[in-house]
Amino acid sequence: MAAVIERGARDSRSTFAKIVNDERNRSIFWQVIVFGLIGYVCWYLFTNTAANLEARGMSSGFDFLGTNAGFDIAWSIIPYEPQDTFGRVYLVGLTNTLAVSLLAIVLTTILGFIIGVLRLSHNWLISTMAAWYVEIFRNTPLLLQIIFWYTAVFSVLPRPKQSIDIGGIGLFELNNRGLYFPEPQPGDLFWITMLAIFVAIATVYFLAVWAKRRQLTTGERFPVFWTSLGILFGLPIVVFLVTGSPLAWSIPELKGFNFQGGTSLPPSFLALFFALVIYHSSYIAENVRAGILSVSHGQTEASYSLGLKPGWTLRLIIIPQALRAIMPPLISTWMTVVKNSSLAVAIGFPDLVSVFMQTSINIGGHAIEIVAMVMLFYSSVSLIISAALNYYNTRVQLKER
Amino acid sequence: MASVESQSGDVIVFTPKASKPPPPTTVGVLGWLRENLFYSWFSAIVTFAALYLIFITFAALYQWGIADAVWEAESRRQCLDASPHGACWAGIIVWFNGIIYGRFPLDEQWRVDLGFILLVLWLAPFWFPRLTGKIGIGITAVVFYPFLAGYLFAGGERGWFMQTMVLLAVTVFITNWLHIVVSMVTGRSLREWVVGVTGFADKHERLHKYPMLGFQGIVLIGVYLWLGNWSVSEVNTNLWGGLFLTLLISVLAIVTALPGGVALALARRSHMPVIRVSAIAFIELFRSVPLITVLFMAVTMMPLFLPPDFQLNKLVQAIIGVCLFAAAYMAEVVRGGLQAVPNGQYEAAKAMGLTYWKSMNLIILPQALKLMIPNIVSNFLGLVKDTTLVSIIGLYDMLLMLKAAGQNPIWIGLHTEPLVFGAIVYFILCFAMSQYSQALERKLKTTR
Repeated sequence: MAAVIERGARDSRSTFAKIVNDERNRSIFWQVIVFGLIGYVCWYLFTNTAANLEARGMSSGFDFLGTNAGFDIAWSIIPYEPQDTFGRVYLVGLTNTLAVSLLAIVLTTILGFIIGVLRLSHNWLISTMAAWYVEIFRNTPLLLQIIFWYTAVFSVLPRPKQSIDIGGIGLFELNNRGLYFPEPQPGDLFWITMLAIFVAIATVYFLAVWAKRRQLTTGERFPVFWTSLGILFGLPIVVFLVTGSPLAWSIPELKGFNFQGGTSLPPSFLALFFALVIYHSSYIAENVRAGILSVSHGQTEASYSLGLKPGWTLRLIIIPQALRAIMPPLISTWMTVVKNSSLAVAIGFPDLVSVFMQTSINIGGHAIEIVAMVMLFYSSVSLIISAALNYYNTRVQLKER
Repeated sequence: MASVESQSGDVIVFTPKASKPPPPTTVGVLGWLRENLFYSWFSAIVTFAALYLIFITFAALYQWGIADAVWEAESRRQCLDASPHGACWAGIIVWFNGIIYGRFPLDEQWRVDLGFILLVLWLAPFWFPRLTGKIGIGITAVVFYPFLAGYLFAGGERGWFMQTMVLLAVTVFITNWLHIVVSMVTGRSLREWVVGVTGFADKHERLHKYPMLGFQGIVLIGVYLWLGNWSVSEVNTNLWGGLFLTLLISVLAIVTALPGGVALALARRSHMPVIRVSAIAFIELFRSVPLITVLFMAVTMMPLFLPPDFQLNKLVQAIIGVCLFAAAYMAEVVRGGLQAVPNGQYEAAKAMGLTYWKSMNLIILPQALKLMIPNIVSNFLGLVKDTTLVSIIGLYDMLLMLKAAGQNPIWIGLHTEPLVFGAIVYFILCFAMSQYSQALERKLKTTR
């Protein structure tokens, strides 16, 4: 009897304890608390912002994108005039950022692979030099390097009259106003050549798919590489010649104090580009080295004992496995290149942050909208790149049990 | 030694000849050279080309930096007159103080030195062998040191809060070092020693904290009598700069990023959707945008976000921006560590009946953080480099001081030398740290 009462008492006491100690209830409780806190902080910031905006008589909203910007931009890929709108400024900054980043990504990858392979060189002097290249450029701040290239290299070049003629053929001229080089001017029928290039790429793709399928079913190999090379270059060149070479070149020529014709890249572009390439190539070099070292030597030996030639071993055994280790950090380095191109603001290269986040805010206000738009751009680039990375990872992942 | 009896009965003993020395081209310097530099005709050409490249680089650097350099001058004009194509190190010598301390008043610079010496002394025990309570010392460094250093750097009147924190910081610093000395001498911790001396050793363990608290109270009273009225003059944060500011921002960022990063990483791995999603949103937002946009945001938008009567100065805004940014990056480092801890450890902790926080504090985090120490150090290294960005929003960190040297009317045009000097300083700092992190990585690998 007593035992029953006791159990009953314990039960009644534990209904409350049960609710409190239930993991689901606790998790709901904490989530409500966190949600409330975040909500409160957001509300607090929002009311403050609204009050501040009203006190300063500032308007909000995205209408300003249609208004006249009224300032000039030193260099842009897409045409821009001072009377264009803020929306246009956004596009100009965006394309400039993408232009310098894409160019830097391509070159930094190539240079990084070269340095990474050199670090593994059997020649002690070469591997040591490569190691010091990596250490020196990785251990100094990128911003310092950018400013160094800008103030100590590209700003103290000779005047246009004493330009440095790169290659000695009179086509590439380097002076303190930048790099001048010939500009292609496509004629009326040039679009046919462009079409031919796309057709060639598509053909090569389907050729590769077909050749692989044929090899899998019949075991016969098809010389894909040389055929592709022939199609890629042959088709556009033939089309180009047949349509009557519809492409003229505008050559830069010294007239008076400056160059006329051709096109040019400003010193700020060159400084940013060089610094980005050199700084990030040191990171890529380390990735490449680690990736190649991560493929165990047994793989090479196994491949040799199967009778594969050294070239095939490298192409079919080592590189695919090394790439699995190299690609993820490589792609995140590309992301870093895009983000770090924003340091352009320090040397006045008109990238997105410089023209939109600095100049536009100073001239037209609308800080919140502008910051949101800039962040949107970088976040989308980052999302796209990480989506690509995830896709790659799932494709190449080791099928392990 | 093998011996054989021949047919005639003589014993033939086999005695080997002494082995010949290896060919001279495979050993010693010559052998090394052949092995590593001249193993084929192609490698020989490459070696000579590389040697030539090294020679012309170093010859040019020597000519510019040492042979033609000017060490004593009063202006850049004098430098150029003395040697038009050499480095003007005289400018660096004149600007040296500014590059290190910014515009901090000369008479007060001992405070900066003292602040950094205190930090080194505070953290030095981490490298002492056989010392207990290192984690406690680390926590006191995070909790108390910033206030002491902050007061040393900023100075001025102390409010009651600052007074308490400064006095507590000094007290903790003294007891930390007493603990170290006692441990070194007696092999027991300060707590055990105090308990033993006061005769509490045979009392219940629950009472052992009181003699220690009493001891700390006595030290605190001593400190109060000693430093209660001590004060230093105020130095406006506008005057902070140079390497001092660079290190200050990086140290502050890492000190806040570590706990922040741990919290965010745990939140990101939480099973509660609201907490997880908020952590992911925060981390991914800050990781996907460049630091410079975060800094611009801190400077242009923070004044809009806060009430009008509560405005922060630019340094504080920048530090908040850098700290948020660093915490997001640190969160990913910690998450990597949490993922590297084998699942069995989580399950074992659960099976032992430990609560979430106990299993994290006692089982998971110690292992995860130990795994990640090299990454944390290299993250810190990245932060030191990234703090140069505060120069873009106009804080006089080392980089902006270096640029300022070339904009001064007397030294106008002095751009290359300051940047080279700055590059060397950053290189020494970062290279030492990266070597250290690699050494740590090797050390931790062998112990596992």
